[in-house]
Amino acid sequence: MDFCIKYCTVVILYIFPQGDGESAPDTPPPETAPDDDGGTPAVTTESETITKPSPTQKSSSRNKSKKIASAAAPPPLELSFNLDGMSVTLFILSFVTRIWKLETPRGIVFDELHYGKYAGLYMQNTFFFDSQPPLGKQLIALAAYLAGFDGAFKFDRIGTPYDPIVPVSAMRVVPAFFGSLLMPTVYNVLVELGLSHYAGALAAFLMIFDNALLAQSRFILMEGILMFFGIFGLLCILKFRRFYHQPYSIPWFTCLTVGAASLGACVCVRYFGIFTFLLGFGILARDFWMMVGDRLISERQLLGHFLTRAVIFITIPVSLYIGSFYLHLSLLYKAGPNDNIMTSAFQASLEGGLAAIVANQPVKVLHGSQITLRHTHGRTCWLHSHDTVYPVKYPDGRGSSHQQQVTCYSYKDVNNWWIVKKPEIEELVVTEPQEPIKNGDIIQIVHGLTSRALNSHDVAAAMSPHNQEVAAYIDYNVSMPAQSLWRVEILNGEVSDGYWHAVESQIRLIHLNSSQALKFSGPEDKKEREKDLLRSEMIPMERKNLTFWNKLFELQYKMLFNNQENVAGHMYASEPLDWLSLKRGVAYWISANSNAQVHFIGNIVTWLSGTLSLVVYASLFLVYLLRRQRACYDLPEDAWNKFCSIGEVLGIGYAVHYFPYFLVDRTLFLHHYMPAYIFKLCMLAAMIEHGHYLVCQYFKSPRVAKVYVGAVGVWMVAILYVFWFFAPVTYGATDLTADQVMKMAWRETWDLIIHKQ
Amino acid sequence: MALDTSKKGKSHPKVSQGLNTMDKIIMKYRRCDSPHIWWAVFGVVCLLAAATRFYNVGQPEHVVWDETHFGKFGSWYINRTFFFDVHPPLGKMLIGAFGYLTGYDGTFPFVKPGDSYEGVNYLGMRVCCTAMGACLVPFAFIIVWEMTFSLPAATLSSSLILFDVGLLTLTQYILLDPILLFFIMGSVVGIVKFHGQQKKPFGVSWWFWLCFTGFMLSGSVSTKFVGLFVVLYVGLHTIKNLWDLYGDLSNPLSYVAKHFLARALGLIVLPIVLYCVYFYIHLTVLCKSGNGDGFYSSAFQSQLEGNSLFNASMPLEVAYGAEVSLKNARTGGGYLHSHIHLYPEGAGARQQQITTYSHKDFNNKWLVKKWNEEPGDWEDDEPIELVKNGDLIRLEHVPTGRNLHSHREQAPVTKRHHQVTGYGENGIGDVNDVWRVEIVNGEEEEMAKAVVHKIRFVHYLVGCALMSHNKQLPKWGYEQMEVTCNPNVHDPNNLWNIEDNVFPKLPNSSFAIYAPHFIEKFLESHTVMFQGNSGLKPKEGEITSQPWQWPINFKGQHFSGGNPRIYLLGNPVVFWGNLLALVLYFSLYTWDSFQNKRGFYITPGVRARRDKTLEACGWLVMAWALHYLPFYAMGRILYFHHYFPALLFSSMLTGVIMDYLLESLPNMVPHYLSSSVYPWVTGLFYSILIYSFYLFAPLAYGMHNLDPSFENSTVHQIRWLDTWEF
Repeated sequence: MDFCIKYCTVVILYIFPQGDGESAPDTPPPETAPDDDGGTPAVTTESETITKPSPTQKSSSRNKSKKIASAAAPPPLELSFNLDGMSVTLFILSFVTRIWKLETPRGIVFDELHYGKYAGLYMQNTFFFDSQPPLGKQLIALAAYLAGFDGAFKFDRIGTPYDPIVPVSAMRVVPAFFGSLLMPTVYNVLVELGLSHYAGALAAFLMIFDNALLAQSRFILMEGILMFFGIFGLLCILKFRRFYHQPYSIPWFTCLTVGAASLGACVCVRYFGIFTFLLGFGILARDFWMMVGDRLISERQLLGHFLTRAVIFITIPVSLYIGSFYLHLSLLYKAGPNDNIMTSAFQASLEGGLAAIVANQPVKVLHGSQITLRHTHGRTCWLHSHDTVYPVKYPDGRGSSHQQQVTCYSYKDVNNWWIVKKPEIEELVVTEPQEPIKNGDIIQIVHGLTSRALNSHDVAAAMSPHNQEVAAYIDYNVSMPAQSLWRVEILNGEVSDGYWHAVESQIRLIHLNSSQALKFSGPEDKKEREKDLLRSEMIPMERKNLTFWNKLFELQYKMLFNNQENVAGHMYASEPLDWLSLKRGVAYWISANSNAQVHFIGNIVTWLSGTLSLVVYASLFLVYLLRRQRACYDLPEDAWNKFCSIGEVLGIGYAVHYFPYFLVDRTLFLHHYMPAYIFKLCMLAAMIEHGHYLVCQYFKSPRVAKVYVGAVGVWMVAILYVFWFFAPVTYGATDLTADQVMKMAWRETWDLIIHKQ
Repeated sequence: MALDTSKKGKSHPKVSQGLNTMDKIIMKYRRCDSPHIWWAVFGVVCLLAAATRFYNVGQPEHVVWDETHFGKFGSWYINRTFFFDVHPPLGKMLIGAFGYLTGYDGTFPFVKPGDSYEGVNYLGMRVCCTAMGACLVPFAFIIVWEMTFSLPAATLSSSLILFDVGLLTLTQYILLDPILLFFIMGSVVGIVKFHGQQKKPFGVSWWFWLCFTGFMLSGSVSTKFVGLFVVLYVGLHTIKNLWDLYGDLSNPLSYVAKHFLARALGLIVLPIVLYCVYFYIHLTVLCKSGNGDGFYSSAFQSQLEGNSLFNASMPLEVAYGAEVSLKNARTGGGYLHSHIHLYPEGAGARQQQITTYSHKDFNNKWLVKKWNEEPGDWEDDEPIELVKNGDLIRLEHVPTGRNLHSHREQAPVTKRHHQVTGYGENGIGDVNDVWRVEIVNGEEEEMAKAVVHKIRFVHYLVGCALMSHNKQLPKWGYEQMEVTCNPNVHDPNNLWNIEDNVFPKLPNSSFAIYAPHFIEKFLESHTVMFQGNSGLKPKEGEITSQPWQWPINFKGQHFSGGNPRIYLLGNPVVFWGNLLALVLYFSLYTWDSFQNKRGFYITPGVRARRDKTLEACGWLVMAWALHYLPFYAMGRILYFHHYFPALLFSSMLTGVIMDYLLESLPNMVPHYLSSSVYPWVTGLFYSILIYSFYLFAPLAYGMHNLDPSFENSTVHQIRWLDTWEF
C-alpha cells in the first residue's frame, strides 16, 4: 500500500480544492473517500481512527499508518481509506516467507544468545550492560512479555534447545514483522525517487528472495528492526518533498515528525544507525538549501522553516533516545551479574546490589577506616600493593627505588585494602572521638597486609618515566626518607559538606612534597602521580537513589568508552572488502544430531549483480558527466536529474553505510553489511530500469526492449532458483546429508559445517 | 612584515597632518604596482626568516629528541651500513649527504637524546636542515602571492609562519620534518607557479614549473609517506585545471589530451621514476651488513657485505647435525625463535614458547636431527648424511635443548590452529616432535638446500604445518610474532627457508646467483616498510597524542630535557588565530553562498575581491583538511609534530582571510576612521604577533635556569595552559 499521507492530501484536495487540511470547512464529509486504486474501500475493523477522528491523532501508530490510509479530515467524522495493492502484496509475500516455520530451529541461533538473554533480563528486571542502545531489545522484550515469558531460561550457548516456556515465535515475529515491512517501504522509496512502480517492485522482490535478508529477519536479531526504522525515516523525508507548497500543513508536519522519530528510533536500536540518520538529515538539509534559492519565500519565512526543521529534528530523536533509556533504567532496577562495570554508586543504587553486600558500614571515612580505593575513570581497578619490590634496574637501564610495588588491580583482593591514618595519631584503629577526614586534610595511607605506607619520591615511574614512581615505603635505612604525606582533595565536596564519604566522594590524592596527584597508568603496573580521579569504594548504608540523569550520564559514558569488544578474531569474522563478493558467510546454528543448519549467506546472483550495478552506476555517471562537460547531453534534463537524485540517495546511502566500516577497529561480520546491502539492491533495481530506458531510447525497437525484459525475467528466475537452492540452510528446517551440504559450498571459502561421522 | 609595521606605526601621528609619503607608501604596498616593492618586501621576509632560523642553531650542543634516529641513519649512510626504517630513504639520505659534504665522518653513535656532541662536526647537518626549514617562509610568500596577487596577504601569511615558535623549533634540528615540509611547500609553490603559466602553455617556464612540481612531489613522498597527501592535493588541483580546459569547447579534444599527457608525464611518471632512483641509490649505497638485515629475506641478505650469506661463507646443502636458522618465507617474516619463557596459563600447555623474531639472535639456532637418532659430533669421521625431501626430522633448539613440538591444543592467538611449543630435555622428547620436510616443487629424494628452497614442515602425527604470520603475541610473549601449526597445509604462510647453515664438514658455496635484482629488492623493501609502519601501534597504557589536541595547541612535546630545555609548542597566538580564521572563512563562505542563492546584488569590486579570496581559501582549506583529517583514521602512534604540514596551510589561510578583512574594514567603520583604520589594525596585528614570538621564543632557543623556585620567571608566566609541561 502506499503511504497514507500522500493519499490524505490527494483526498483533501479532491474534496476541498480550496483547503489545506487545517482550515477545511465544516461541510459534512462524504461517507467514503474515492479510491484511486479502483479497489473496494476497505473496511478495517482495527482502525483506531474511527474512534479518534481528530486530525492530530491520525497516524498515531506509525506501523498502522502504513496499512491504513486515514484521512486528515477536518473535524466531523471523516474517513478515507486507500490500499495500495502492490505494497500489501509485497508485505504479505515477504511476511509469509519470514514466518514460515518460524519456530524452527528451536534452539539458540547465533546472537539470539545475547538478545534473547537481554529479553529475559528485562522480564526479571535485572540490570545488564550492553554497549548498544536499548530500543530494539525493548521491542523484543515487549513481545516476550505479551507472550508471558518470565525470563527463567538460561541463554548459555549457541545451539542450546529452547525450553517450552520460551515464546520463541513471539520473540522472532518482531524482527520478522519489521523485516517484512521493509519491502513495501523500499518499494515506496524507489517510487518516491521517481522510478517506476516496476523498479520499486523489483527491488522489493530482490530483497524478499535474498537469503541473507531473510535469515537476518527471521531470528531474534536487531538488523530487521534497524533497517526498517532507517529506511522508513528516509521515506518520510523523501515524501516531505511533496509538501513543499503546503508548508505547516498536517501532512507536512507528519512527514517531518514521523521521519525524525523513525530515524531517531534507528539510532536507538544501534549506534550505527547514526549514519542513516545523517543521510536523512543530509537530504533534508539539501532540500532546504534548494528552498533558499526560492525567491518567493522571504528571509523571515526561511528562518521559520529553518527553526521548525531544526527543532523537530533535534527534540524528537533526543527525547526518543532519552525515553528509551528512561524505560531501560526504570525497568532494570535489580542488581545482576554484569553490573560490576559500573561505579560503586551506580551499583549501590540497584536493588540487591552493592548496598546489600556491604550494608551497615559507615559513610564517613575516619582515621583508622579500612578502605579500598577504586579508580573512577578508564578501566575498573583498585589501588593494590603486594610483597614484591620494583626491580633495581629496568631493562632500559633506568633505576627504581626498589620499594614495594603499588599497582592498580582489576579484581577484588585482600591486597586492595588500605588503612587511612592521620600522621599525628600513632595507632591504626578508629579512635574516640572519631576523626573524620575532610577536604584538604593531610593523611597517610597504609597498606593493610604489609603495613607499609603509600609513598612517592623523585624516582621515575616504571612505565611513564616522566611521572614519579609510587611505592609502598620500605625503610632500607638509606638516605631516602619516607615522603608518605598525601593531601585529600574531594572533587565533589558540596554533596558531603567537605567530608570524605565512602562511595560518593571522588577524591584526588595530592602528594605533599611534590604536589602531584595519584594516577594510574600502564596495564597492570604502577600507580603514578598526576591528575586523575580516584574514588573510595565501600560502605553505602542503604540503597542509594541516584537520579535518572546521573545514571544516564554514567551509563552513556561507560557505553561509549568501555569498549569490551572481543578483539581476537572470530572464526566467521570477515573484512569489509570480502563483503563485496560474498566471500564467506556466518554459521548461525547447527543441529546437534544432523546436518540441518542455518548458515547466513546471501543470494549470490543478487549479490554480485548488486555489486556490478554500483560499478555500472559509477561508470555511467562518469561517462555522462564527461560528455556533458563537452556539451553532449545524452540524457534529457529530467532523466539526468533523476539519475543524479538516485545517486544522491542510493549511492551516497550505500557509501555512508559501507565505508565507515573500514575505519572500525573491531570484529566485523557479514551482517554488518546488511544496511548498505539494501541500498545496493535499490541501486540494482534502478540500474535495471535505467538500462531499460537506454534500450528503449537507443534502439527504438519494441522487440529489443522485449528481449531486455525477457533477459531480466530469466535473471529473476535464476534468483528464485538460487533462493530455493539455499533455502534449507536459511530456514534450517531440513536435515541434510553431507553431500548436500558440500554441494552448497559453491565457493571454497564458504565454510558450511558437516558433522564428522 | 615587521618593517612595514614600524613604518605604519610611526606614520600615524602624521596622517592627521595631511597626506604624506607614508600614506603613499602604504597605498603602494597595498596595490603593489611595482616589482621593486615586491622584491623589497620579499627580501625583508627572507632576511628575517634566515635571522630567526639561524640564530643559536648550534644550541643545544647535544643530541636533541629524534636526532638520535636520524643522525644515526645519516651516519649509517656515510658508513654504508644497511639498516631498516619505516620511512622512505630520501630524507635520511639528504641528512647523510649534508653530513658527508660538511665533513662529518659518521663515527658518532647517537645513542640517546642528551648525549653531548663534544668535538663532533654536527653543525653542518643542522645548518642544512635549518636552511631547508627556513625556505618555508619565502615559499609561503610566493604561494599566497600567486593565489591572491596581494602583497599584504603574502606578508601576513609568511609572517605567521615566520613567527610560529613551533615551526622554528621543529625545523632547527637534524630531523626529517624540515625536509618534508620543504618538499611539501615546494610542491605547492610548483603547482601555483605552474598555474600562473597557463597563458603560455608548453613554453619553457611552463615545462620548468611542471617538472619542478613533479620533482618536489617525489621528494615529499620519498621523505615520509605523509607526503602522499600533498600528491593528492596537487592531483585535485590538476584535475580541476584539466576539467576546465576540457569544458572549454573551443579546445579540441586532441589539445586537451596533449595537456593531459604532459601533466601525466610531469606529475606521475617523473615522480615515480625519481622515487625509484632514490631507492636505487639507497640500496646501492648501503652495501654492508647492519642491524636491519633480519627484516629482509635470505636472498636479499646475501648481497650485504659482512652478512653470513655473503660471498660463499656457508654450505648449500643441509646435513644432519647442522646448526641452522629458519626464516619464514613470507615477505618480512621472522626467524623461528624460542626462549626459556613458558606459555602462560590459559594459553595452551605450559611449555616453552616458540615465536618468530625479526632480529638475529643466538636463540634462533636450531639443530637438525634424524627423528630416531642423535647426530654425531662435527669432529667425528662418520659419513655426512644430507636432509632430503620427505625426511622425518626433529629440530632441537640449541640454547635450551628443547625440541620443536606441536600437539592438539589451541594456539594462543589464532585459536583454530594448534599450539607449537618447545618440549623435552636435552634433545629427548616424544613422538610429537617429529616433522616431515616437504620442499615446495621438490623432486622425491631431492637434497634440501639453504636459502634456495622453500620448505614446509609438516607435523608427522597431527598433519598440520608449521606456520607464522604477523599477528603479535601479547605482552607475555614480548610482542614477538605467533608461531602455530596450521591444519591448512597449503597456506602460503607455512613456508620457511633455511638461512644460516653451520656445518664445517661441507664446503662453502656462493649464493650470489640467487640474489634478487633491483625491482624485487624495491618491492620487498616496501612490504617490509608497510609492515613496520602498521606495527607502530601505541602500546597498552602509553599516552599518545590525539589529533583533536593539535589545532588547539593543547600539549607540546619535549625536545630536550637537559640544559637548555627545549619544548616543541606552537605560538598560541598563531594557533588560536588560525582557528578563528577557519571559523571566519566558513562564515564568509556560508554568507556568500547564501547571498548568491538569494540573488543579492553585490558591487563588482567586492564580488571580484571576494571570489578571489574564496577561491584561494578554498584550496588552502582543502590542503589543510587533507593534511589533518586523515590522522583521525590512522591507527598508528601519533605525535604533535604531525600537525605542522597542516599548520602551514592553515596559517596561509589566516593571512588571506586577514587581508580580506583588512581591505573590507575601511568601508565598515565610520568615515572619519576609514583612512586610518587599515594601518592601525595592521600595526596592531604585527605587534601582537611579534610580541608573542618574543614571549615564546625561549621555548625554541632554549630555556636556562629552570629551577622551580623561579616562580616569577617569564617561563612561568607564559604557561597559559596547565597542559603545557615545560
